[in-house]
Amino acid sequence: MRKVSAKHLQWLEKELPVLESEGVISPEVSVGIKSYYTEKTASSVHWAIIAFAILGSLLIGSGIILLFAHNWDELGRSARAVLSFCPLMIGSVLSLIALIKNGGTALRESAGIFHSLAVGASIALIGQTYHLPSDTPAFLLSWALLILPLVFLLRSTGAFLIYLGLAWGWSIAAQETYGQAAGYWLLILPAFGRLIMQIKNSRHAPDTLVSLFGLLIALCMSLGFVFERTVPGLWIVAYSALLSAAGLFGIHYYRDRDSWSNPAKTFALIGIPVLAYIFTWTYFWDDIGWGHFRLGWNYRPWGNWLDGGITLALLTGWVAAAVKAFRRNSMETILLSVFPILSISGFLLSSSGDGFETLNALIFNAFLLAFGILYIVLGCRNTKLRQLNGGMAVLSVLLVTRFFDAEFGFMAKGIVFIALGAIFLSVNLIMARKKKQMEVLP
Amino acid sequence: MKKLPTLILGAVIAAQLTVPVSMIRSRELVLKNGECFRFKTRPIDPADPFQGRYVRLGFESDHILCEKQESENLDHKQKIYATVETDSEGFAYFSGWSLSPPETGTYLETRYRNIYSARNPETEKWETKGIRIEIPFDRFYMDETKAPRAERIARDATRTTNCWAEVRILEGKAVIEDVFAEGQSLRELAAKKDKK
Repeated sequence: MRKVSAKHLQWLEKELPVLESEGVISPEVSVGIKSYYTEKTASSVHWAIIAFAILGSLLIGSGIILLFAHNWDELGRSARAVLSFCPLMIGSVLSLIALIKNGGTALRESAGIFHSLAVGASIALIGQTYHLPSDTPAFLLSWALLILPLVFLLRSTGAFLIYLGLAWGWSIAAQETYGQAAGYWLLILPAFGRLIMQIKNSRHAPDTLVSLFGLLIALCMSLGFVFERTVPGLWIVAYSALLSAAGLFGIHYYRDRDSWSNPAKTFALIGIPVLAYIFTWTYFWDDIGWGHFRLGWNYRPWGNWLDGGITLALLTGWVAAAVKAFRRNSMETILLSVFPILSISGFLLSSSGDGFETLNALIFNAFLLAFGILYIVLGCRNTKLRQLNGGMAVLSVLLVTRFFDAEFGFMAKGIVFIALGAIFLSVNLIMARKKKQMEVLP
Repeated sequence: MKKLPTLILGAVIAAQLTVPVSMIRSRELVLKNGECFRFKTRPIDPADPFQGRYVRLGFESDHILCEKQESENLDHKQKIYATVETDSEGFAYFSGWSLSPPETGTYLETRYRNIYSARNPETEKWETKGIRIEIPFDRFYMDETKAPRAERIARDATRTTNCWAEVRILEGKAVIEDVFAEGQSLRELAAKKDKK
């Protein structure tokens, strides 16, 4: 059943008699519309209720952690041991109520978030009471594994995001403590499982979109920490494949949707220019490839296999997404598909010997230029200010940076800055007017 | 009512409760039955976002003297068992290590950190003397207002007198009972200075 907010229904109820009296619709049509919205739609919970429920449970959970962190010296060991169970018990009761009563989003999310934070608070207080050593990875791993079932049982996106955060934290702590964090890929597998289930059930639902965005960000942040870095520069290929695959996946599954309605594409469109901009500097192409294989006590001998495997998996994802989404008449899919090809070529060229750094930097300068121009053109064609400004921002950053590289005087630099600013303002003004003309008021 | 999900959630809650219960049980066992050792300390005072403020303890005895070739095959962070003994002044030190728990004596389950080197006064060169190990009782949690003061007291006390941690060890596991400076418990000392 479609969900329509009470606010929109109220508006419709006021509008129908007006349309009827103006002769736009007949009384029969008016009755038909009314009965459709009464019988065939359900009122949706206002987002503010869910947001406040989430915020409330987050604040209370975090507050309990901070209260415990004060360390109540006056209380004895046994009193503190009993105290450490209290939030966990409250969280458990909340989760049971949410599950048994088949609670709505607000209840499930608050229960999931509060229960997840209570598990961490409980373990932390016991650690504090018994002065346990600073075994951060063990703490984060226990916490993450203990809340994982809540993600599935309560279908809580908040708990899912906390789980992703803990898995990410674990990857950093494990790399620091054990010298490797290969187990991260096992931790992230259930998160993939949950997301696939969500996409199958309802790909456009807000919680699916938030989960997709969260998982992509977690992957992006963890990839650099989990990599063994035994083969310098392999990250260039891995990150390019991840971003391109995400963008193409977004175009294929979410079609023409933009911004927050298409998190995968948005993630790629923010990540690709940032990465491409990094690649425009020559020193990122120095000393990379198998010729600079790293050995030592802090590098695992199997590191190249792990990094190679992850990179291969990401490249497979990229190929699969490109096969599904690639369209010859879409410059956007062409640009997204080409990005990893350029990165792979750059990596192979720099691996084969010295002297290709400038060529690689030039290639990515050209790529970024094409990227900026493409989105300016798309923005003008589709009358989308976001696309237009995004394209202009990419182009401006590229031009300003290269301009600073070259040794121009202050006057020349000043004129270029003013010119870029003037172009920005005038194009936006023209587009805003064009949009206003095209807008149809309700 | 959904029976299976509720049963699974019940099992999850039971598992969540088991973890803190087993943590408390194992530490209480060490505190009740473990052998007591005094480790000379060098404290500093940081904070943990989840567990609060604590006095971070550095220990004079954080190494084991042994021949260079004995430790050559050890990997960084490899788990080892360090034997604990008491010196003539009554302070604990690590007398040896093994890859499996020793059958006799008190031992600590720990990890290998790196080589321990010391300057030879005769040759004036640095020489490998043994191995450094991780000390799995490096935090002493205190009230957030008392911890900085306690750290200051302990730092001053370390200059003039001995400062030590009383640690109970049982079957490789260790739990700090208290930290002492100027011959008194750090907690009591910090509380006294507060009243003054």
